[in-house]
Amino acid sequence: MSTPTTKSDYLLLFRGNDWDKDLSPEQLQRVVSDWAAWFERLTQQGKAVGGHPLRAEGKLVSGRKGRAVADGPFAESKEAIGGYFHLQVADENEAVAIAQQCPGLEYGAVVEVRPVAEMCTVRARALEASSRAEQLAGAA
Amino acid sequence: MSHLADTTAAPPTGEISRLADHLFRHEAGKLVSVLTGIFGIERLQLAEDVVQEALVRALQTWPYYGVPKNPAAWLTQTAKNLALDLIRREKTFQDKQPEIITFIEQWSSSSDAGETPLLDGEINDERLRLMFACCHPLIAPEAQTALALKTLCGFSPAEIAKAFLTTEAAIAKRLVRARQRIRELHIPFEIPSGQESSIRLDGVLQTLYLLFNEGYKASSGESLVREELCREAIRLTALLAAHPIGNQPRVHALAALMFLNGARLRARMDAEGNILRLEEQDRSSWDKTMIARGMFHLARSAAGDDLSEYHLQAGIAACHCAAKDYGSTDWPQILSLYDQLIQIDDSPVVALNRAVAMAQVHGPRAGIEAVENIRHQQALESYHLLYAVLAEFESQLKDFQAAANHLRKALQLTEMKSEQSLLSKRLRDCEAAGDRR
Repeated sequence: MSTPTTKSDYLLLFRGNDWDKDLSPEQLQRVVSDWAAWFERLTQQGKAVGGHPLRAEGKLVSGRKGRAVADGPFAESKEAIGGYFHLQVADENEAVAIAQQCPGLEYGAVVEVRPVAEMCTVRARALEASSRAEQLAGAA
Repeated sequence: MSHLADTTAAPPTGEISRLADHLFRHEAGKLVSVLTGIFGIERLQLAEDVVQEALVRALQTWPYYGVPKNPAAWLTQTAKNLALDLIRREKTFQDKQPEIITFIEQWSSSSDAGETPLLDGEINDERLRLMFACCHPLIAPEAQTALALKTLCGFSPAEIAKAFLTTEAAIAKRLVRARQRIRELHIPFEIPSGQESSIRLDGVLQTLYLLFNEGYKASSGESLVREELCREAIRLTALLAAHPIGNQPRVHALAALMFLNGARLRARMDAEGNILRLEEQDRSSWDKTMIARGMFHLARSAAGDDLSEYHLQAGIAACHCAAKDYGSTDWPQILSLYDQLIQIDDSPVVALNRAVAMAQVHGPRAGIEAVENIRHQQALESYHLLYAVLAEFESQLKDFQAAANHLRKALQLTEMKSEQSLLSKRLRDCEAAGDRR
């Protein structure tokens, strides 16, 4: 494997917060220690630069001027995000390979791997649109 | 690929290694007991749910923030908070609410120090109460063991199903029904006293014995789960024996029998999972600490005139543990214990074991005769060990033809892989010995 000089950022989003409900205390304890060992290892290797669990409850702000503030949870428990790791790795393959080591997979947890974009997609679209507009203006 | 190497790397030491073996399982049992004491036994499910939720919270936060200094206190505190939330929300608790809240707040007020004002002795009382409730005679025996495993030992329905060779759904149903019965029959959450206590204690012992046997017998279930069953049965029995109500000869006898048999559990299999017979076992791998604890309980069991089947079985196990090697086993003593045991328990399995002791003392012919006496009267005809035992006697008499026939019959009757491979090996030995003659 060649040593890449640049690293890319990825988020592992852990989806589902009810896969642990039927585990025995023994199984839970194993997942806890495996998960902690996994996170520690990735941190030591410099591959994980952060990570946090997320509480299920929270607020949902929407509507004009944020008038509607609703109490969470916001998604079905299968979809809900229970926590995340922030990775800095060579490429998507490595991020996926790390996601495949998630100790919760065995019990039905789902890991979503998302590359961190260099730019907000909305802003990118806006910039693209304005540059196109400039081009059109120049052509005219 | 680098990640493959990563997965095989040992997890770093440090905080993770502080998670002692079975911490969650044992804490779960304690917490369910204490919370059941607070909520009432009719709300057993609620106590279980709160504890599960506390464990799940640990899963969600410990991997990121590290294991707390005192994991048990953290779990207790979390369970307490969850319980308080719940009580404040739930209308059904309205009448009792102030009392319960005061109790819970007192229960773990010094959370930073991680101390629980509830003393170990009090927690043990709660666990015994739960044990007596789970083992109430009005609950079906198979439901008793399932309920005890779930609430006191922290087994999941899937694990219980594996141990009892049934489906998870069946176990779940059993548990629901048991909890329902507790509610409907108003089964009390208490350590019985007076005349009732002796009968109720017998019920608890029976369930613990069943639990242990289920783990000990090699005929079903996954070996890892079975070992856990034995361990949990031992833990609960020792807990009972250490309590004033359980400090009785027959409780000590049961504890002795479990320790003395449990000490030899691991030695029964070789590294490949093949069954080793007593004479083939490496006696140095028997657990000396467990043997010592067994002998301690055996000595305590001798107080008084009580002579239960647990006493006799513990005595037999002690004979094996005390023998330096197979040759120096005190078979006459074992036979006399079996003679007494069969008076109390005339089950075919005891009778068959007695025949083995008989052969050791009076020779294989006496053994064959003893087996012939019992094989038709009871459900032994389809029991593979009957033929395995007969084969042993015949080969001692150098009748390898007859021995081989018995072994073939035994092979037809067992489906367990480890048993089959042992029998096949013996069959090959017999055929080889027969050819040499």
